[in-house]
Amino acid sequence: MLAGSRSDSLKDSSLGVSPSTVHQAVASPSCGEGALLVTRSSGYHFIVPGFGFLIPLLLLMVVVFDAPIVYMLALAFWDKAQGFTLGYYGDVFEAPVYLRVLANTVRISVVATIVSVIIGYPLAHWIRGLGRRAKMVALALVVLPFWVSVLVRTYAWIVLLGNDGLVNRALQWLGLVQAPVSFLYNELGVTIGMTNVLLPLLVLPLYAAMARVDDRLLQAAASLGAPPSTIFWKVYFPLTLPSLAAGTLLALILCLGFYITPAILGGGRVPMISNVLDTLINVYPNWGQASAISTILLVVTLLIFAIYRRIDQTTSTK
Amino acid sequence: MIGSSIWARNILAAVGIFGLGFLTIPLVIIVPMSFSSATALTFPPPGLSLRWYDAFFGDGRWMDAMRTSIVLALISSIAALTLGGLAAYGLRRRAVAGASLAEGNFMVPLFVPTIITAVALYLGLAKMGLLGSFLGLVVAHTILNVPICVMVLGVAIREFDPRLEQVAWSLGASWLLTIRRVVLPSLAPSVFAAWIFAFIGSFDEVIVTSFIAGAYETVPKVMFNKLILEVDPTITAVATLLIAFTVLALAIVAVVRAQSDKLKSSVIMQ
Amino acid sequence: MINRRRLLGMAAVGVPAISILRTRSASAQAKEIRVAEDGGVATKAFQSGFVEPFTKKTGVKVTLESPNPLGKLRAMVEAGQTGTVLYTGLGSVNMLAAKRLGLIDPIDWGAVDPAPMYPEAKKDYGFGHQYFSTVMAWNAVVKAPKSWADFFDAKAFPGKRALVDLPQYSLPFALLATGVPVDKLYPLDVNAAFKKLREFKSHVSVWTATTPQGPQLLRDNEVQYAVCSGSRVVGDPALGMTWDHGRLDVGYACIVKTSKPEDRVAAYKLLHEMSLPENQARYAEIFPVTGPNPDLDQYLPKDKLSTYPASKQNKAVQWLENPQWWNENGEAINKKWQEFKLGL
Repeated sequence: MLAGSRSDSLKDSSLGVSPSTVHQAVASPSCGEGALLVTRSSGYHFIVPGFGFLIPLLLLMVVVFDAPIVYMLALAFWDKAQGFTLGYYGDVFEAPVYLRVLANTVRISVVATIVSVIIGYPLAHWIRGLGRRAKMVALALVVLPFWVSVLVRTYAWIVLLGNDGLVNRALQWLGLVQAPVSFLYNELGVTIGMTNVLLPLLVLPLYAAMARVDDRLLQAAASLGAPPSTIFWKVYFPLTLPSLAAGTLLALILCLGFYITPAILGGGRVPMISNVLDTLINVYPNWGQASAISTILLVVTLLIFAIYRRIDQTTSTK
Repeated sequence: MIGSSIWARNILAAVGIFGLGFLTIPLVIIVPMSFSSATALTFPPPGLSLRWYDAFFGDGRWMDAMRTSIVLALISSIAALTLGGLAAYGLRRRAVAGASLAEGNFMVPLFVPTIITAVALYLGLAKMGLLGSFLGLVVAHTILNVPICVMVLGVAIREFDPRLEQVAWSLGASWLLTIRRVVLPSLAPSVFAAWIFAFIGSFDEVIVTSFIAGAYETVPKVMFNKLILEVDPTITAVATLLIAFTVLALAIVAVVRAQSDKLKSSVIMQ
Repeated sequence: MINRRRLLGMAAVGVPAISILRTRSASAQAKEIRVAEDGGVATKAFQSGFVEPFTKKTGVKVTLESPNPLGKLRAMVEAGQTGTVLYTGLGSVNMLAAKRLGLIDPIDWGAVDPAPMYPEAKKDYGFGHQYFSTVMAWNAVVKAPKSWADFFDAKAFPGKRALVDLPQYSLPFALLATGVPVDKLYPLDVNAAFKKLREFKSHVSVWTATTPQGPQLLRDNEVQYAVCSGSRVVGDPALGMTWDHGRLDVGYACIVKTSKPEDRVAAYKLLHEMSLPENQARYAEIFPVTGPNPDLDQYLPKDKLSTYPASKQNKAVQWLENPQWWNENGEAINKKWQEFKLGL
């Protein structure tokens, strides 16, 4: 465990790269084997005051957030007239409309996340390989959309993708299509809009992980005769996997909370759970019902998170 | 990538360029729309004018909101980055008892629907007497952006080779020095990503802010309101100004770096 | 960056116990009150129409907070917040929900001493201060519908439709289209309304989620007929619209349950200002939504009377929302609405 994951996973990959090569590749040249061996035997855990780093945040969270959120979620078990009740949960499971909206939300979110990964991973990888100046421009282009409010970007898509929008006009002018393509007001529109929001969130951490992969490691593997695809799948990809997993999870969970983009670009055809919750809090103030649904959503996301952590733990300590 | 085929490289470049185009094409539309003379969002604009920039600079509320948003995003993103980063560092080997529980707790603001978080933070800040105050806003935005920082930095720190740190330790460096000289430089891209996520998370936040901000206005709060979403081209002018500002900042960084490189290489030449 | 006024405000909110003591001991008259309000253009209108004359007369300052969702009012009362005294812009159904949940107190109409008001605006628990309407609108190039039956007739009036993604703004229109007369609209025949919508849904290409969406869709010719906010489409040469059989609703100002008595004294004086037609006219000048005074027309520009949701001529041809019915049935209907939407 203390030896770190790099050397072990490389040994597994049967490339025959010796651990010492890797050490030299990863660590800066000035620190040699000896130093490493010394620290390996010293009690690493006990030097680091681990818990101390958590205390400031933990204090803030417990005082400002945890207590009221527990109160909010407990509202699902409390009725002013009858005291303790399971009625709100009963309602959720009896009339499955809310569960179906939840399932729909998860499905759309998974689709948008997968599309983001399919575009995002190659994009980040491509940027890593660019020259310094081009890299800077590309990264700037990834960051720029951040500054534009999601609402404004949503309206830009309307202008671009509408029946009479730029894209359809271009397609018709080129003679590629006869009738305008319905990009908007369906699940395609939602996916386009959501992916556009998610992509930078995925690309930046991915790029950061890829930039940490030392070129000398890849050169070492190449010099030992490994074909490019083997280097990619056995060395490069595993090294970026934790960030990919984290970014994917982040994107998925952010998706679950999307509201305005799907509501507008989906033309109201793609019900999302945030929309339903907003109604239950602000229009028909049934907080008990809202907190029952939120608790279910929280349990679902915590489960996803736990699975992610388990996977992450096994891959990083292998 | 080393030795990969021309084909693979071309496909990669195609996907990369497509991805960049997909990200930036809405911006290409927004910038000209901000110079439109029309009152609705139309493209191409029927005529050119600066009226939406006048509307922005001439309206004290917009300027006020912009100032509040930027200060709030700066302070809360740095707070989230610091607290989240420290926590991620403390959590990195999960050797601490209850670490998983603490980590789960830090992630909850991301997992709970925002509207529920909004009500919870309202009640929490009310208890502390911070409701409607700037400090309250900072606290709320910090909590909202902690999960993303813990997550992005957590992965980066776990990927980071602990032996580098061990070396520094064994050579007698203090933990502060270790973090500053050894850990941070290697994590810089991830730190930047986490910071910008936190900054934007705060800058774009509207639901929680609507609940707890009291009389404070932020940019999204001015844009969204209950009866009317003011989708007049002023918001495209705001977006354009932010884009211009970012491009300018990046250009300055690029120029400064190029200058210092030139300096370095000339020193070496001599 | 934080100016002095803000810092002072921060301190006042940050130490509530001290600030309460200070105001109590100083006098029974509040120096400043807080009012929750819609935000956006409405804030400007509220400021110039009501706050300025009020502050000029009483010397009491008003801090406006926006926006004003019902959930925030509930959180305010649950947290025992005493700062905000008046919660404005609650829709008629929201006002009744707030009353049911005990979030608001009755208005002391004797203390308000209002100028004449329409009866639906003068409720025990609410001061109706804004009328807004939801109407049918169309792109000017297509055939103009005359009734909701026309609007829901895709054969005689071909073209795509946009409806509002909220049951309150869709079911009544669908029912009117089946031939139910306006005075028999409530109690709403929910099943008949949903049946009509199910038959018609293939012609609806967008269910709108925000107010400006409807007019935008019409201007882009993405749909040809849409349910829109009246004040958003009136007067646009590219669009057609009619107030006939539009849905008129009232937004109310309410007294927050946990507010301080001395603040309420000031709030009633503000409500009095809000009842005066000249102030309502100033409000409508900035935000084209009119107030509850029956004689307001005399104070509005003659040539613009046709553009206000509740000018006499327009009020006469619209129907008024029935908040009692929605207060009792709204949540169940909302569930049915989600089911209906899932079937799209």
